[in-house]
Amino acid sequence: MAYPIRKKHIVTDLFILLLVVCLTAFCGCEKKPVKDITFAVGGAPAELDFWQELIAQFEHQSGIKVDLLRQPTDTDLRRRGLVTSLRSKKANPDVFLMDVAWLAQFAASGWLEPLAGYMQSSQLDSEVFFQKVLNLADKYNGRLVALPVYVDGGVLYYRKDLFEGFNIKEPPELWLDFVKQAVMVQKETRKTNPDFYGFLWQGAQYEGLVCNWLEFTGSKGGGIVLEGPDIIINTEANTQATQFMYDLIHRFEISPPNTYTEMKEEEVRLAFQQGNALFERNWPYAWALHQAEDSPVKGNVGVAPLPRFADGESTSTLGGWHIGISKYSDEKQKSFEFMEFILSYDTQKKLALTLGWNPGRSDVYTDAEVIEKLPHFVSLKSVFENLRPRPNLPYYTLLSEVIQRYVSSVLSGNLGVKEALSEAEKEAQKIVTKYGRE
Amino acid sequence: MAGNRLEKNRDGTNKDIKTACIFILPLLALIFLFILVPVIGTFINSLFQDVSFLDKRFIFLKNFQQLFVDSGFRQALRFTLLFILVSVPLEIVLGTVFALLMNADVPLRGLLRACVLIPWAIPAAISARTWELIYNYSYGLANFIFTELGVTGWPVNWLGTSLGAFGAVVVADVWKTTPFVAIIVLAGLQAVPKELISQAKADGANLLQIFFKINLPLIKPVIIVTLLFRTIDGLRVFDMIYVLTGGGPGGQTTTISHYAYKYFLSGDFGYGSAASVVLFVVAFSLSVIYVKLGRFETGQI
Repeated sequence: MAYPIRKKHIVTDLFILLLVVCLTAFCGCEKKPVKDITFAVGGAPAELDFWQELIAQFEHQSGIKVDLLRQPTDTDLRRRGLVTSLRSKKANPDVFLMDVAWLAQFAASGWLEPLAGYMQSSQLDSEVFFQKVLNLADKYNGRLVALPVYVDGGVLYYRKDLFEGFNIKEPPELWLDFVKQAVMVQKETRKTNPDFYGFLWQGAQYEGLVCNWLEFTGSKGGGIVLEGPDIIINTEANTQATQFMYDLIHRFEISPPNTYTEMKEEEVRLAFQQGNALFERNWPYAWALHQAEDSPVKGNVGVAPLPRFADGESTSTLGGWHIGISKYSDEKQKSFEFMEFILSYDTQKKLALTLGWNPGRSDVYTDAEVIEKLPHFVSLKSVFENLRPRPNLPYYTLLSEVIQRYVSSVLSGNLGVKEALSEAEKEAQKIVTKYGRE
Repeated sequence: MAGNRLEKNRDGTNKDIKTACIFILPLLALIFLFILVPVIGTFINSLFQDVSFLDKRFIFLKNFQQLFVDSGFRQALRFTLLFILVSVPLEIVLGTVFALLMNADVPLRGLLRACVLIPWAIPAAISARTWELIYNYSYGLANFIFTELGVTGWPVNWLGTSLGAFGAVVVADVWKTTPFVAIIVLAGLQAVPKELISQAKADGANLLQIFFKINLPLIKPVIIVTLLFRTIDGLRVFDMIYVLTGGGPGGQTTTISHYAYKYFLSGDFGYGSAASVVLFVVAFSLSVIYVKLGRFETGQI
């Protein structure tokens, strides 16, 4: 026999293999403290530390053990993690944060536990939240399925020191004045700083582009209109507003050419913070960072509502993160108690003071200590009472994808505005027809 | 010896085949569990309206029907095919050149081989971030070189035009995967008998002749296998491009897998599965063609 293989050997080998498999399997189950609920949240390390601290406090108060499921910072990755576990009906995580843009999808999929019953027997009063946010985002078909942990809306940041230097009295109300000021300041400042631009905003092909587009179109009286089975995108107002976005980059040249390739929130914030812009469109989170000790523009930044066209109103897109309970959780009552804790006055105040975020509770905005430390909260409150939501549809992200693609084509000069919007409308109509029947 | 064994097998027990089965069985089970089951699952899924917020129902080929009139999907398909058509040949040619260099008797050959492997060893998402820093408009290395050295005099928005973004993606991918090709081709080159080459040299053949007349025909099967690997890898490319361009501008660098991923994320698992099935069919047919090609070549040698 050239290759003597005996049965005995095979049996031993298989036995060893089995042993190895079992050992690896058992190594997987590390000893964890017994947990009651799992809370999924993502974000930067400092944010996660903050959540960890809150959880420790909650555990101490209530005796309920909470396991923090750390998610990445990236919004899409956070969504992917949740979609995967909810689709497979996993009881874990029990409670989690959701971006406002996916709330409708999650609610329509039946993944979220309705909250009305829990609210009745709770001290938490839904009146304390921004009512518009509650009605436009947290209710799906009239049923409350989530609550706002923090809200966001697009605002205009400007450089107070440059305003003084160029004798500009107050932030512009109209885009017309805005462009004039930006062109003038850019021209003069370029002499000493060649990297300087008049206006930075989020134009890369991603969800942020749609938020910006809704603000530009809204300030012209446009936007996305759903009329029965029809979706309307290709309107005169939207055409002019989209053309204006193109002009900012290619005609007035006050926004950099990489606006449509690279500019997301952080790119915009960093460039403005380094002193390379007069105006910046961003979410309120940028404020605390602009005012940080190491910020070159510390003390020189002002906040204002975004400008508008003569025939429109200043528009700010509703953003922010909401907390909800999984339909598949087996500890719903305890999860709700955790929600109550996160949404309590004290925790929401801490959220504002520690991270500079904007609480979902409107009563925190009149807190003396908060106003003292964060004076811009006064003007933000009025912005938040007037936010424009993205269409509250379960298939919103697919519509958003179409708008991203076509607006990006316009900004990069590949398509004319008219053609792009008419194509976008056709594709959006297909999506509405396909997914829109209930 | 072999005949001897066959003789033994004839009397009923068939020991060797039995042993072979025992050895192959775990592998077959794994393939079934981790490859066949998901593939069949995806096939079945693609025939359903499987949207998380709508009722699930059987719609047969309607997902595919919609895919082929979906301009976004067609753009993704076109881009993906164009991408492999340009990047794979570049990788094969460059990789072969590197392999020849590494095979030559040069000083510090070990170091050279180690260096060449580095790009392949770096995870795609990380090398994509690195390339992002190179292409960046305001502080990227490419623009620094171009403006400071006065090549153009003004910064270029590399990822801003369809051609620019396409080129950028191809360059990054070629940089990353050429080492893979080089290593496999090197293994092929080392199997070429040295006597053949010294004989050819003695006969007065020059280097080009040696390569085209001796090396190339002998390493052809290896090259075809590499081609197969690279084509399939290129078809399902995701991380590198997703991180580098995010599919922009205007969706012009969106790959099929990125497109399918978007639908999975939005809760339409049926449509996403259908896109994946198309990807599978394309990859599978190309593989069959390559394998046929490979057999034909080995038969000739």
